[in-house]
Amino acid sequence: MPVIVDVLRALCCLALMMGAALAASPGDGKPEGPPGAQTPAQTAPAPDAAAATPDTPLTGAGQRIYERTRPRLLQVRTLLKTQDSQSSVGSGFLIDDEGHLITNYHVVSQFALQPGRHRLVYATVDGKQGALQLLAFDVVHDLALLKPVEPAALSGRGSVALRPQADTLPRGARIFSLGNPLDVGFAVAEGSYNGPVERSFLPTLFFGGSLSAGMSGGPALDDQGRLIGVNVAARRDGEQVSFLVPADFVRALIARGRGAPPITAPAWPEITRQLMQHEAQLTQGFIQQPWRSAGHPVYTIPVPQETWMRCWGRGSPQAARGLQFERSDCEMDSRIFVSGALLTGFITVRHEAYDGSKLGRLRFAQRYSASFSNEFVGGDDRSRTAGQCVERSVAVPPKAAAKAAAASPLPLKAVICLRAYKKLEGLHDMMVLVATLDGATSGVQGRLDAQGVSLASAQRLAQHYLDGFAWNTPPTTQPPTKPIAPIASR
Amino acid sequence: MQRWPLTLGRALDNDVVLDDPHVAANHAVLEPDAQGQLTLAVGDTVNGVSVGNNRFRAGAKVPLDAAGTALQIGAVKLRLRLPGETLAPERALPAGGRAQMAPPLVAGLLVMLLALADHWMSLDPGADATAWLPAAVGLPLALAGWCGAWALASKLFQHRFDFMGHLRIMLPWLLAIEAVDVVLPALGATLAWPWLWRLAVPLQVLLAVLMLRSHLTQVLPLSGRIVTAVVASTALVGAAISLTLTQRATDRYSRPAYMSTLPLSALHVAVTAPPTAVVQDMAPLADKLAQRVKRARADDDNDGELGGD
Repeated sequence: MPVIVDVLRALCCLALMMGAALAASPGDGKPEGPPGAQTPAQTAPAPDAAAATPDTPLTGAGQRIYERTRPRLLQVRTLLKTQDSQSSVGSGFLIDDEGHLITNYHVVSQFALQPGRHRLVYATVDGKQGALQLLAFDVVHDLALLKPVEPAALSGRGSVALRPQADTLPRGARIFSLGNPLDVGFAVAEGSYNGPVERSFLPTLFFGGSLSAGMSGGPALDDQGRLIGVNVAARRDGEQVSFLVPADFVRALIARGRGAPPITAPAWPEITRQLMQHEAQLTQGFIQQPWRSAGHPVYTIPVPQETWMRCWGRGSPQAARGLQFERSDCEMDSRIFVSGALLTGFITVRHEAYDGSKLGRLRFAQRYSASFSNEFVGGDDRSRTAGQCVERSVAVPPKAAAKAAAASPLPLKAVICLRAYKKLEGLHDMMVLVATLDGATSGVQGRLDAQGVSLASAQRLAQHYLDGFAWNTPPTTQPPTKPIAPIASR
Repeated sequence: MQRWPLTLGRALDNDVVLDDPHVAANHAVLEPDAQGQLTLAVGDTVNGVSVGNNRFRAGAKVPLDAAGTALQIGAVKLRLRLPGETLAPERALPAGGRAQMAPPLVAGLLVMLLALADHWMSLDPGADATAWLPAAVGLPLALAGWCGAWALASKLFQHRFDFMGHLRIMLPWLLAIEAVDVVLPALGATLAWPWLWRLAVPLQVLLAVLMLRSHLTQVLPLSGRIVTAVVASTALVGAAISLTLTQRATDRYSRPAYMSTLPLSALHVAVTAPPTAVVQDMAPLADKLAQRVKRARADDDNDGELGGD
């Protein structure tokens, strides 16, 4: 028996690590980026676990805060209904005197989606255990509101106060993150408050400290023990780059969910409703931003502003004899964790500009087509239907400024593919593929992906993207032979 | 033979001695009866005599009227030829002669040209000469191997190593397959007919099946109908399985999601549709997907609450 528990503990740690890593910022699936950025390591970050506080020893404030907050700190465990083995572990904390708890949504997602097969249990620092029920959650900001089935068991422990909204924290202030990393034991990690994460659509706080898996859902407190944010994720490809959900969203969730009845049915409809709200905001915000120029000499290629996205560029090596290309990938940091197998609610935009002047028409045409066929559309799986596409050759009418020069419309091949979510009714994944058709030895292929959008939003995004293509200058008889100017890269 | 009656059997005093253990000592007697009708009288035998598709037991008297009727006594096959029958003309031996070589040579050259051109397209300029080896050497070897294998099959059934015959069969079909591979996708892309583009692969498969049938018929010329039936049924079963698997994975009957070949800039037909046209096409697509989701939900409800991902 003990061996099995140990094995299952190891498995749950892995599961939780993956949960935390998945909820972390990009790196997932992005092939290249800044030096050193790789996909988050799936192995246990052993050095981090061993040293909960890296170089600086705990100051007096840290000890004080830990002592005071200890009774309000809990471990939240998801167990299989029929067994005592935990399938997911995270941290949580008491937020008021009625016994309400806050943790991350991804800590309790298995329960939220399959309440019939799981049960939630808390464990206090001093070893008390009891059953929990899920009252409300915010899937977009990764928060969940829980309450013990018997609140009396946790009475008298006090609660974590929220730092007042008006009281802004200066950058560099010492803050303390509490939790139960890797199920090793309750711990406090000190670090600096580094302000909101730049270029993030969903407001997130940058915590300059170490967060390990298992600390998800634990509180991050200022030097007076008031809540700044909730531990949510960390970047495994960096050091002490961790993220917190701002306390404002905790406030909103408590206000909304305090009196709610416990959740006993799979939470898909509520998740769908929250994701619809999110995607409406995302689409509206995205469309309002004008496209940036990509710096291509011939075409205007739509590149998103870097307000919520990070863009990376890459080019073919100079010595290459064949097809020359320049590539740009723009991705959003914020992705919404719905379940271990489903991250959604984001947009990516990328393009490749090809120069086939060394190849000649026929060879260029062959490679250009081969590159167009290389796009993965997605088959029928458990969460989404197979992708189905519509395609057309379209002509983008010239923009007003170019009309004066009597420019001809830009011919494009446009393919739009949709996949519908099976459990999130009304949400789709959309892929828009575009290829310019006019160049004999040069061309641009672009792709916009929107995950978790309604049909109306998808149509608006597709229209916005297609409208972003145009001639830079009216076409001459010969395509330019000078090399393509480099795309702005970081 | 010179005179009636004609006796057939294993014993040495018969007119036609058949040295076969399945033949009786005095198996049968052949002679015209009172009316002049040639009759076969089956003697004292366990196995009987087969005339055409019928088997006759001991003591039967079988009238033989059709010229060239096939008799089977034991394991021996006999055929009757009577005077006054017109002889079939002499059949020419296959192959041989310079004139016979010209068509396969031309077809072979075209096949190689197309393959080399295709290979050239995939190489970057300034590629090393060794990059040509797979097409220039590998392909002829592969084709020779294919024809050699079929020739061995011919040797087995026809007792002739019919390499040239199979080469002559293979080359035109191969040319047709390559031509479809080059023409159909480009044509579909230029005319903006995705259905034509999607036809390319199934058509090539069909041509390959027909080539296979031709090879088989060359090896077993007397079983033409059976060969066609077997090949057709195998092809149909294979097609059904392939379509089912594709439909399961992609909800379509054709694997590629969209036509990926892009038209050559010089050739493509002028377009006038604005981008809103393709955006509007999305709405019926979403409806179709909603139906699919409904079906998936119904299946899930039937299975009970299993997956929660």
